[in-house]
Amino acid sequence: MEGGVSSGGATAAPLNVLVAIDDSDESFHALRWALDNILKQKSETDQNSTVVTIAQVVEPLPRYAFPVVETASKVQEENAARVLSRAFEMCRDSSLKAKTIILEGDPKDKICRAVEEMNINLLIVGSRGLGQIKRAFLGSVSDYCSHHAKCPVLVVKPPPKKT
Amino acid sequence: MEKPVMVVGLDESEHSFYALEWTFQHFFSPPENSPFKLVIVNAKPSPSSVVGFAGPSAAEVVTYVDRDLKMIAARVLEKAKEICTSKSIKDAICESVDGDPRNVLCDAVDKYHASVLVVGSHGYGAIKRAVLGSVSDYCAHHAHCSVMIVKRPKMKH
Repeated sequence: MEGGVSSGGATAAPLNVLVAIDDSDESFHALRWALDNILKQKSETDQNSTVVTIAQVVEPLPRYAFPVVETASKVQEENAARVLSRAFEMCRDSSLKAKTIILEGDPKDKICRAVEEMNINLLIVGSRGLGQIKRAFLGSVSDYCSHHAKCPVLVVKPPPKKT
Repeated sequence: MEKPVMVVGLDESEHSFYALEWTFQHFFSPPENSPFKLVIVNAKPSPSSVVGFAGPSAAEVVTYVDRDLKMIAARVLEKAKEICTSKSIKDAICESVDGDPRNVLCDAVDKYHASVLVVGSHGYGAIKRAVLGSVSDYCAHHAHCSVMIVKRPKMKH
């Protein structure tokens, strides 16, 4: 059975982790928190078994403004590359095997699809900490993913606001 | 240095026990140098939340229901302790607290200053979830720490 339990095994099971990020602070906080509290320990006990995939989802640009599209998409590409390389460095600093991918489209959909296609064991998402009403209007990727992803989901809360 | 705490919410359902086993498999094996301290919390609902009617016979029914609930809670804890022993986890705390699971789990997070709360998920659809309520949903929004929702993979053929 997929995801079957090993009885009394002494070695940790390999963990394929997907961390969904955008360029928001909450995302990076989620990645940082996950690295420091969950993933670093795994890499210490078992060097090669944890693989972190960093996925950035970009919304595709509207295609109707022709002259604008080229420069805008170039800027978007550069932004995405910058975000991913920063995230990649963070993983490397924690001695974790990491790879980066860019997904284009609706974040909720793409993340859940990626979980299935890449055989992910754990999905890590940040949470903007929106209240009930904002969440109903703006939608929540972490909410959607925790209900629809086919694997366990870790929702990392933003740090408490210091007032 | 004190180890960070991982609280696992447990009830008598298979989903809960799957979540517990999954947590053991990924974060507590090998058990000797696990980075976390494990706290297993079972919420024992109060009989009044289960018995839906009032009236002269309600008092009797409540006693029976309460006895049943106590038995279920004891059985869950017993099984949890057995699993901990079989996985050689020696310093786990297992406790059962009276009350609504949503509040019990969020309070446990505060009590133990947990870094992670792990809950199973029944995998209800949106409508069932709206009607029956969802502990994992509530905890994901209200617990003061990161929440890991562990689902059993559905077998698709």
